[in-house]
Amino acid sequence: MSWRPIFAIVRRDLRLVARARAVVMPLVIVPLIFFVVFPIGAVVGIRAGGDALGELAPLIQMLPPHVVAALGPPPLARQLTVYLLEYQFASFFLLVPLMVCAVIAADSFAGEKERKTLEALLYTPTSDRELYLAKLLGPWLAAIGVSTLSYAVYLVIINALAAGEVGRPVGITPLWMLTVLWLGPAVGAMAISILVVVSARVRGFQEAYQLGGVIVLPVVALVVGQLAGVVVLDVGLAGILGAVVWLVAAAILYFASRGFRRERLLRQV
Amino acid sequence: MTAVLEADALTRRFGEITALDDVTFTIPGGQVVGLLGHNGAGKTTTIRLLNGLLAASEGAVRTLGLDPSTDGPAVRALTGVLTETPSLDDRMTAREAMSFWADMWNVPPANVPRRVTELLERFDLAERADDRVGGYSRGMRQRLALARTLVHDPPVLFLDEPTAALDPIASLGVRDLVRTLASGEQRTVLICTHNLVEAQELCDRVIILRRGRVVADGSPSEVIHAAALPVRVEVEVDAEHAAGALAIARAASADRASARPDGGIVIEGMARDAVPQLVSQLVASGASVYRVSPEQASLEEAYVALYGAEAEA
Repeated sequence: MSWRPIFAIVRRDLRLVARARAVVMPLVIVPLIFFVVFPIGAVVGIRAGGDALGELAPLIQMLPPHVVAALGPPPLARQLTVYLLEYQFASFFLLVPLMVCAVIAADSFAGEKERKTLEALLYTPTSDRELYLAKLLGPWLAAIGVSTLSYAVYLVIINALAAGEVGRPVGITPLWMLTVLWLGPAVGAMAISILVVVSARVRGFQEAYQLGGVIVLPVVALVVGQLAGVVVLDVGLAGILGAVVWLVAAAILYFASRGFRRERLLRQV
Repeated sequence: MTAVLEADALTRRFGEITALDDVTFTIPGGQVVGLLGHNGAGKTTTIRLLNGLLAASEGAVRTLGLDPSTDGPAVRALTGVLTETPSLDDRMTAREAMSFWADMWNVPPANVPRRVTELLERFDLAERADDRVGGYSRGMRQRLALARTLVHDPPVLFLDEPTAALDPIASLGVRDLVRTLASGEQRTVLICTHNLVEAQELCDRVIILRRGRVVADGSPSEVIHAAALPVRVEVEVDAEHAAGALAIARAASADRASARPDGGIVIEGMARDAVPQLVSQLVASGASVYRVSPEQASLEEAYVALYGAEAEA
């Protein structure tokens, strides 16, 4: 395995992404909405909620006891703030690696076909395995980078807004660590695995991105379920979910790798 | 001379379609070889097989003594391929693209900037090296794609339609480059082209494929001769024997000879092999033969004739 061409492809793919407005826009806008606009809105909304917050009390009551304990003692506004910032936004966070991987993988796999640049790449002395690994690594590393940066920005904003009121640093919890370092990367890998499969069957970036968009549904279901109090993303669930997602992603990537042969790719040139 | 490219009874099928059928050739080093044929004749498939992008259905193929189906990366490390479309990304600059390709071919990192600059200068792209390729003309893109094939200094080059997008002056430059690469730098060059004038001018040897089969293989002259095309012959004899010479020429060419106002004789469509016999007869008649010039048929005419003959067969 030669790493120089692998990283050359990764660098090139990421450079190309950085220069495509259609690809960069969602990479900037989605994290901005979820980790700047929404947290500010949530904290400001809770502060301005007054008596109306009482209607949200059942949400706290429905939570498992260990989660309620982690929220700390009343007032309700404080508990809601901690719940939203430390639990609810953790599930929002999963949308970032998912979206970054989907966008970049669509550009990297299907976009390469669309731009008719694949054939020259196939004539390089890379092995099929190196080529496959390079194409997976680019989107995944970008997802880790954007996710980590989003989390850092999120930490700064929520602590500036709410650490005083909560009485301790907010968002630096085992759940967040697990989400950023374990579940998020797994979700990213899952997104890439699906885009690899989808991209092999389509001819362009837009088509791949739109078809690959279905992968957002399980995460949206988690977010909605959590908002409805049906499910809570806690340390246990994040750990188990991460393991399951990693396994499924690995299985899909393994089977997809068997189809990642120069001969097959040539048919798409 | 050691064979650089070899195909032995090479056959490649795609489902029901046979793209290459029992193709055999051996190409020694330092030659410029033209692979000719209509679209779908099997030219690109041959290049892909020689580079290990495809595996043979039957037969064997070797590039620089290596089996591309098992040593693909090693083979591709020693070859440079100009694809039919330039395969360049509009969002990169020429310098970035060349550095990327240098990394892909494992050019020593310390040499990359020098090598990239050298090639950009050689292909007259240095002034626009830091512009994005998206703003390049078709000719510039083609030149950049050609520069890419040389980034790792390969001994074997495959050029698919190298002058397709170029203006006449740029085409001339590419033809000069190919000559330099082969005779000056001792590289082996396999060119796929539809430009038969170019092939005749450039190639030491041409292989004509039709529906995946080799229908002609040899130097351009050999292929033209093998096509046995009738030639136009001009004859000039002394004035005293002009009438007799015309009669001999008519007899030798089934009445295709005519006299020119200047006294010369023109024979349209004579078998090339009949020319020596004609000269003998003229000399035997006592004529002073000043000039007999059979006009050489072109590779293009031979190609059309070969394709026509094969189609009839």
